[in-house]
Amino acid sequence: MILRGLWERRTLSLVVLIIAVVPIASAAVGPIYSAAARTTIVREAVRTAPLEGRGWRYTTTSGGIQAKVGAFTRGAGFTNPPIFGMEATSGRADDKRAFSLVWQDGQCEHLTLAEGRCPRASMEVMAGQASGFALGQTIHLSAVRRAEVGDAGRDPAPLKVVGIYRPGSPADPFWFGRTLFAPPGRPEGDKADALFTVPETRLDTYIVAGAVDFTGARQPEAGWTDYGIVFIDTDRIEGTDIDVLAAMQAAAENAGSNEDTIVFSRVADVLRVVSANAGSLGVPTLLVIAQLVGLGWMLLFQTVGDLVRARGAEIALARLRGHGRARVWRFALAEPLLLLAVAVPLGLLLGRAAAGTMIGALLPAGVPVRFPVEAAPAGVAAMLGGVLAAAPAAWRTATRPVTEEWRRTPRRSARGWVLDAVVLSITALGLVELLATGVITDVSGQSSSAMAVPGLVALGVALLAGRALPVLTRRLFGLTRRHGGLGPFLALRQVARGPVTAGSVVVLGAAFGLATFAVSAWSATSGDYEETARFHNGAPTAITVRPVEPRRLIEAVNAADPGGRTAAPVIKVPGPPEMVATDPARLAAVGYWRPELAGGRTLAEAAAALPGPATPRVWLRGDRFRLTADHDPLPKGWSVRLFATLRVPGQLRPVQIPLGALTGRSGTHAWNLPPGCAEAACELRAVRGETTPPPEAEEDLYVRVTVTGLATRANGRWHALDLPSWRVDEDPDARDGTFVVTVPGNQTLRPYTYEPRQAGVAVGALGGKAVPGLDNAYAGPVRTVLASAAGPGLTGVGVLVDLEQADRMAYGVHDKAVFQVWTRSADPAALERALEEQGLSVVSRRTSAGLAASFAGQGPGLALMLLLVSALAAAALALGRTVLALFTAARRRTYELAALEASGARVAALRVALLLEQVITVATGTLAGLVAGLVAARAALGRIPQFAEPPVTPPLPHEVALAPVAAVVGAALLVSLLAAVLVSEALLRGIRVERLRDAPA
Amino acid sequence: MSVVRCDGIVQIYKAHEVEVVALRDVDLVIDEGETVALLGPSGAGKSTLLWLLAGLLRPSAGRLWLNGADIGRLSQRSLDRLRAAQIGMVLQNPARNLIGYLSAAQNVTFAQRAVKRDRRRAGDLLRRVGLQDAGDRPAGRMSGGEQQRLALAVALANKPRLLLADEPTSQLDERSGAWVVDLIKRAADVDGTTAVVVTHDMSVSEALGRTVTIRDGRVGAEGRRGEDFVVVGREGAVQVPPEYHHLLPPGSMARIEELEDGIALRRAEP
Repeated sequence: MILRGLWERRTLSLVVLIIAVVPIASAAVGPIYSAAARTTIVREAVRTAPLEGRGWRYTTTSGGIQAKVGAFTRGAGFTNPPIFGMEATSGRADDKRAFSLVWQDGQCEHLTLAEGRCPRASMEVMAGQASGFALGQTIHLSAVRRAEVGDAGRDPAPLKVVGIYRPGSPADPFWFGRTLFAPPGRPEGDKADALFTVPETRLDTYIVAGAVDFTGARQPEAGWTDYGIVFIDTDRIEGTDIDVLAAMQAAAENAGSNEDTIVFSRVADVLRVVSANAGSLGVPTLLVIAQLVGLGWMLLFQTVGDLVRARGAEIALARLRGHGRARVWRFALAEPLLLLAVAVPLGLLLGRAAAGTMIGALLPAGVPVRFPVEAAPAGVAAMLGGVLAAAPAAWRTATRPVTEEWRRTPRRSARGWVLDAVVLSITALGLVELLATGVITDVSGQSSSAMAVPGLVALGVALLAGRALPVLTRRLFGLTRRHGGLGPFLALRQVARGPVTAGSVVVLGAAFGLATFAVSAWSATSGDYEETARFHNGAPTAITVRPVEPRRLIEAVNAADPGGRTAAPVIKVPGPPEMVATDPARLAAVGYWRPELAGGRTLAEAAAALPGPATPRVWLRGDRFRLTADHDPLPKGWSVRLFATLRVPGQLRPVQIPLGALTGRSGTHAWNLPPGCAEAACELRAVRGETTPPPEAEEDLYVRVTVTGLATRANGRWHALDLPSWRVDEDPDARDGTFVVTVPGNQTLRPYTYEPRQAGVAVGALGGKAVPGLDNAYAGPVRTVLASAAGPGLTGVGVLVDLEQADRMAYGVHDKAVFQVWTRSADPAALERALEEQGLSVVSRRTSAGLAASFAGQGPGLALMLLLVSALAAAALALGRTVLALFTAARRRTYELAALEASGARVAALRVALLLEQVITVATGTLAGLVAGLVAARAALGRIPQFAEPPVTPPLPHEVALAPVAAVVGAALLVSLLAAVLVSEALLRGIRVERLRDAPA
Repeated sequence: MSVVRCDGIVQIYKAHEVEVVALRDVDLVIDEGETVALLGPSGAGKSTLLWLLAGLLRPSAGRLWLNGADIGRLSQRSLDRLRAAQIGMVLQNPARNLIGYLSAAQNVTFAQRAVKRDRRRAGDLLRRVGLQDAGDRPAGRMSGGEQQRLALAVALANKPRLLLADEPTSQLDERSGAWVVDLIKRAADVDGTTAVVVTHDMSVSEALGRTVTIRDGRVGAEGRRGEDFVVVGREGAVQVPPEYHHLLPPGSMARIEELEDGIALRRAEP
């Protein structure tokens, strides 16, 4: 009987089923999408992490590595099979270098053979090309002895070189956690490339005591260091693995407390990023889902009620036949409950499919679509909204007077204020709570609670609109009674008293309110992402290169872009305050800038104020440097040694050379220049003295030293250099090359080649804060030439300075400085090639669009995307439900319309009546939603979370793009108008005078 | 023994903030096995009285006994049971009595759900109304006549002591109407069912044992054995039947002449 009844009311049943399926699906989409978003977050964090953040190197000196690594990775389905290896370190007679004897599983696939072959037998080794060993040579390492004990003890094990390799790339993850090769171009004198052997070597050798492993700990006798490299597979790790990942990291940190075990990793940094992003995803997503489920409940509440009411005649019959109340109630509930029960699996399936589509479209490829445990209860909870709707509707139908069902003119039942008042009160309380806690009023931060504002505002405005429309139409009703014709008269009468009107306006208003907010929020947030990305990236494309000397960077860019219009060299030093040093003229051509944030000044104007004096530098080229100085006699027992600080080509850090001790009152001091100065000029950066006090000082040291001459020797001949203008940082007035060696207050003499208070564009509340300088050491305030709320490349408070001046001022470049080339070229690959031709090594490329996309991939962005897609779907559903409700309500009146037609009313007037009725209702609901959405956007935009970590700069514009909002509302109005036309025509076709022979339904 | 006893029944309902008196001071007694035709113009209160007799409404004032039970004092549960066990009702539009997507047999058994299900009686009833061959055809696809007969079978499904029918022949041709009336009379004869039938059809009223005419919410007249009587109301009011309005038009004045066994009214011209 239930199934037959459902078939009898198949249209309405289908609508109920669809409307029940949607909130269930919405509720299920949340956890599914959220799980995928978490997976995206964790994968992205791991993928973008440095190599050390993508795995662990588990090292032990007590054996059992496989079991230990097995225990470490137990339960982690996201790690690649471990790469095992063993290592011993030793010196070699008559060789100052340390050698690592290594076996690592799969080593031959990661090394390029230059000669010979890979080792196959015990005590065969493969040596690096730079090590100087020849094929066939036998090497003896002092700590690697034969296993057998001879007459004179253990002899050194003969390691035969069977292959010569070219070092593998240090960037190859295979070599994770260990430097086995000297970096190309930066050979280190005391460390040779590793010698690779086979595991069998371990059986035939004995590592003698006294050998020191790389950790510095003494190894036990015969001990090798065993290790296992465990990598996180970014294609397999998922959001649900975060806890396992954290547990592994905790285990790794605990393992470090054993003296024979070390676990090297930077996964902890990755975990921090993951936690921040995942945390910023959770609450907004929950609020988005809650609002969508609430909206779904509202739709369900009305539609399930319609289904129960559609059975009114049957329920009345049941009561007429004396069925008890409980039985009647069950009878009334049977159909909706069955539909809701069917809707649960369908909704969950649809939710999974929809989430899969969203994940496929919005998240990076390869993110799996899972069905987390929370999805099913969420769907069932959404379905319970339908049960809550069905139960009272069924009870009302079961208890209202039966005779009402058969009256020709059913008594009008006034829509109660109680429910509306309760909902409005809750809405108002919610908004007051958000106001009181500062979520709405405080613009300084971003709060997840602000995500509740749109739902509350939309519901409140929709309820008020639902109440206001009948009142307004009743007012206009009097007008149409006198003028305007039959059509408007009938339409307004129906709208004024129609039971469908208020419900439809409320549902439409709430749904379109949420949709308008979602579109507004998305457009504003997208704009914020783009604006932030443009500023943070600095230019359309930022190419990161390996660190080189600043001059080389500048020269390479000048050569790669001789026109100076498409590329700019940049060195970024992390703060606070941050520093971006660049070529001002080139920056003006490629950098992103907004004059309105800088008092109307253009980037060109700002950049023009940055360069400092181009005083000639002191270049030293040759093999020896000589400095002549006059000085005060030294107090008794004191010793002062002079040092010169140089910038040497190919080295980022300054090099200090000793110039000898001061004696008498003057002297000439010379020292060999670093080898690099013979091929390219080094730069003299500073001269200073270091003191050694006597065991018992009788008087203080205060020695004035005046540099009187500089010279370099090249090709055996000395060349005197022009003395520069000097500067003493501690005594700005001293310019004659005189500085004081004393304790305390020792002074440093520097060539005066820079502006001591560098010009800078200040971003944010810099105040008098010292700027670190390129070397993060020469901290000093800048001379602010312009204050701007945002600057290219700056993510926080910081300065924009001239790279040339910054380079002159600093002694070197800090390790954490990032070297980039900014470009607005349409073909950055060509620029990259040109830069590489100039000797730069390109590491990565980042576009501002890519950066904006990565913002959208953070937790809040993913939650907003969920809101956008789901709210638009809900709005479409609400529109469909409203059109259907209006159609059903109008169809009930076909008797009345037939009577009107019979009494001479023209079809055109009836058409106008039907059209107007629907258009008024739908337009009111849609426009109420538009108002609610815009009000909510005004109240909540700027407070809702947009970033995992809100940026300090630039100030976010929160500009709502009107076009998408207008498109949504316009499309809704257009579709509703079309639907109204179709529904009216369908109804008009059904109006037949013969119907009057039937009793009114 | 009286199956129905109305004692000064008043029924008032509200329509658009206006109180409408549907029935006023209705006194009526119907004995077991009687077949009564309720007559009267549209809006006179016939359907309201029928709904009261079905226990679907409770009187605003006065008392109503059904089979000796004062329905004003019955709980809803008891009233439901009373209706399930002892009352059968045929609503005015035959389709309203039926669940359109159920077969004839299912409609009959649906009416039995609140009491003991009796499939034999269901089959018997369908035979009596000539629908034993209706099969699985949904009631909604039956003709008007078939629906009307099925509605009667449904109303008789619980073997009611009181059968209430509202215009049961309104959509039937003469022959089908006669069949339905015959079925009602047969139920009264065979099962001792008391029947109250609202009708405008003179042939129906003539076929039934007694007529009660409701005018302006009052019992204005009764007819027994072919003779019509006016009913003297509680306050001595008598409704002049419409067929005498040309002699004593409403609003006119009359003199009362005392007779040995009553009074005579004569038009007066003051």
